Amino acid sequence: MSDNESQWLGKTYNKKNIQECISKIKDKFGQQFSDSKSIREQHSHTMTIHESELPDGVLFASNKNDVSDAVKICNDFRCPIIPFGVGSSFEGHVNAPFGGLSIDLNNMNEILNVYQDDLLVTVQPGVTREQLNTHLRDTGLFFPIDPGANASIGGMSSTRASGTNAVRYGTMKDNVVSIEAVMPNGEIIKTSNKAKKSSAGYDLTRLLVGSEGTLGIITEITLKLYGIPEVIAGGRVSFTSIKDAADTVITTIQSGIPVARIELLDAIQVKACNLYSKLSLPEEPLLLLEFHGSKKSVDEQSELFGEIALEFGGNNYEWTSNNEERNKLWKARHDAYWAARSYMPGTEMYSTDVCVPISRLSECIVETVKDLNDNDLIGPIASHAGDGNFHVAVMLDTNNENEVSKLGPFLDRLSDRAIKMDGTCTGEHGIGQGKRKYMYNELGNSVDVMEAIKKSFDPNLIMNPGKLFI
Amino acid sequence: MSVLEKELEVSDLNFDFNKKDAVTELIKEFGQQFSISKSVREQHTDTTTIHTSKLPDGVVFAENEIDVKKTVEICQKYKCPIIPFGVGSSLEGHVNALYGGISIDLNNMNKILHVSPEDGYAVVQPGVTREQLNVYLRDTGLFFPIDPGANASLGGMASTNASGTNAVRYGTMKDNVISLKCVMPNGEIVKTSNRAKKSSAGYDLTRLIVGSEGTLGIITEITIKLYGIPEVIAGGRVTFPSIKDATEAVIMVIQAGIPVARIELLDQEQVKACNNYSKLNLPEEPLLLLEFHGSESSVKEQSEFFSEIVADFGGNNFESTSNNEERNKLWKARHDAYYATKSCKPDHEYIATDVCVPISKLSECIEKTQNDLTKYDLFGHIVGHVGDGNFHVQLMVDPKNDIEINNLNKFLDDLSKRAILLDGTCTGEHGIGQGKKQYLVEELGSSVDFMKNIKKALDPFNIMNPGKIF
Repeated sequence: MSDNESQWLGKTYNKKNIQECISKIKDKFGQQFSDSKSIREQHSHTMTIHESELPDGVLFASNKNDVSDAVKICNDFRCPIIPFGVGSSFEGHVNAPFGGLSIDLNNMNEILNVYQDDLLVTVQPGVTREQLNTHLRDTGLFFPIDPGANASIGGMSSTRASGTNAVRYGTMKDNVVSIEAVMPNGEIIKTSNKAKKSSAGYDLTRLLVGSEGTLGIITEITLKLYGIPEVIAGGRVSFTSIKDAADTVITTIQSGIPVARIELLDAIQVKACNLYSKLSLPEEPLLLLEFHGSKKSVDEQSELFGEIALEFGGNNYEWTSNNEERNKLWKARHDAYWAARSYMPGTEMYSTDVCVPISRLSECIVETVKDLNDNDLIGPIASHAGDGNFHVAVMLDTNNENEVSKLGPFLDRLSDRAIKMDGTCTGEHGIGQGKRKYMYNELGNSVDVMEAIKKSFDPNLIMNPGKLFI
Repeated sequence: MSVLEKELEVSDLNFDFNKKDAVTELIKEFGQQFSISKSVREQHTDTTTIHTSKLPDGVVFAENEIDVKKTVEICQKYKCPIIPFGVGSSLEGHVNALYGGISIDLNNMNKILHVSPEDGYAVVQPGVTREQLNVYLRDTGLFFPIDPGANASLGGMASTNASGTNAVRYGTMKDNVISLKCVMPNGEIVKTSNRAKKSSAGYDLTRLIVGSEGTLGIITEITIKLYGIPEVIAGGRVTFPSIKDATEAVIMVIQAGIPVARIELLDQEQVKACNNYSKLNLPEEPLLLLEFHGSESSVKEQSEFFSEIVADFGGNNFESTSNNEERNKLWKARHDAYYATKSCKPDHEYIATDVCVPISKLSECIEKTQNDLTKYDLFGHIVGHVGDGNFHVQLMVDPKNDIEINNLNKFLDDLSKRAILLDGTCTGEHGIGQGKKQYLVEELGSSVDFMKNIKKALDPFNIMNPGKIF
């Protein structure tokens, strides 16, 4: 192989072809295209320890025809394509390891239609979740999925994002009804009509959700909406151990309390929050709750939960249905990200996620905390405990080689631990570049099935190469 | 040229099979577990449609995953069709052996392997029926909600993405299957996912296999979600002057966020038949039947709120109860609907079909369908899972009357086309099978090419249930 060539899954990418393709794109799209270094840099940061690798150019698509035209040209030249939303993914999804064209979808940010009676909305992929909820405000409806960042709906679909209220409202897989996508041959397809249920053919909607831009580029998404709850209550309670907190969560869910959010912070994360947000919470595992419903139902849920928490030794349980008070109770969680970031000045934060069956959650967290301690690593833990999902925010001094060298093995052990507990190496961030090596460990030969699907859709392997598969 | 021959000519899938050698080898391999008797083969092909039954060449009674694997390997070796068989309750000819081949009966794989109450899941073999599972679960306080009416096998329910009366609250099979084990067309056994509640690890093979109607592999193990048995179950019943009033009330109920567990509509003709059969004296008007699940106070609140809403839409004679016996009485019309329809024309054949549309289009779709019944002079009743926009037409036809069969075909054709035009689907829960193949293309256009790509990539010789879906 010459310097001009690189390979993935047996396919060769040729730099000369890619250059030729990029100049064709440049000719065709003029002002909509950029190959300036700063623009390319903005489109390839990884938020991981993987090095950024720049695309050769960036196309700012205005509509699906732009996307389709660009994909056709790239397919002719075997030029890689990387779809780009707001770039908030955590596993290097937007990195361009083989160069190629980044297609920025931020200008495709129209909310096309709100179907009030059907509780649906159709949006373009560049619409962000905050933009959508602002738009919906007057309708009494909202879109619940909240991954933290103000991510784009296209990106959230592509990584099967979820977040704090998945325990009640599900993940993107449960909330995307239909997708329009430009496929690797440039064809535009619609995966489904807008009925609430369908048994018509293979579920391409859920095949594209979570496919990380490797099967096609999403150009339109129809999402489920929900009525804004009449009352939202918040609660907070401390525990002496992770196990007590996790057991409380299990019992809560088993008793059918429809909690909307149930978040767990470990002692270190609480400490970081105390420092950052000037709180004086006991430095113990903390559960934060949210309840949605009618006044009566929310009261009932909050009280029933309180009884359960008490049984497992919960301390200082407080709850309120006053909005301002609720925000105060939840301050630790809202600021958790920034608290973690500022906990160790001079360090960088690397966020990762795993997810296990909830019966294994406390065991998995406790072993992970021990692992961090044994290796002198600092990593506050925040968990979407109702789903058995948790994040570790590892803080590293990037100038300290010894410290940096510990991160990889720690992440390996964490994924391995989750997989051994019948869980997954990623509950919501996706595989991207960093977790490809865990795929076989977790799913064995079903990865071959995935690869066969990939190749049948994208025989030239132009769609986001270097992601998902090794 | 027969329809079948025409189909072969236009399809790009393989239809060149060798069944004889496969049968010879299966006899050697399976002895008593393999049958070529005509009566056994006949039992494995009932189409429950107007399509003619075609017999398989033999039936394997699989005892375990290894039997399935061996059967698939032998069929793969000789390119022999293989049709998975559960209880045979599918309604679109899924188990018909259009090209002969081997029916693989999974009823002896009926073990409940594991129940995890903490994690809210059960692991079962495909031959377990939903009633068997719920009887088994009784002492755990948990239940599996999906209820398609028939006592179907869970393997069959997963394969058709079944749902039924309480999908409005608990979702469809797609929402309730956590993980699958599956023997693929090449004989490999794959696991689609671990058992965490969420995962962003790779393509969603679970939901690709769910609803694939035995065309991609044979399911050998299913992990499904369980729910806590509600503290209180209340039932309700209310009549409306028109279908439109009834569906508008349903839309309001769902928008208001009342978590109804079932919300079923019977049209006036169905009510009339039920009055006769079950000796009721309901007003011969569209009827809604409700079920509410929750705590005592929540169920009471739901039912009160519901009665306020229906009053706004002209609902009459609303009755509700949380007494089990009373509830069964209120629901009698619905429970007996199938028998009531059948009893109207005992010498005719029963044909059921289903479509699903966005709920805002439901009354339009039902009213036009009622007009069509008159236009084509057909005898049919309508029962709808209205919370999902899904409804069934239960038809009684005389198979010897050519004019009637001709009219039936026109009626079914119009019905699917109407649902598709209204942005819905030709099947909300029965599946495509044999009968709805042409509508799949009408509904999803070039998406079907990508489904076929998957099919060809995973099953190059087209041995898995050929002639279905495509």
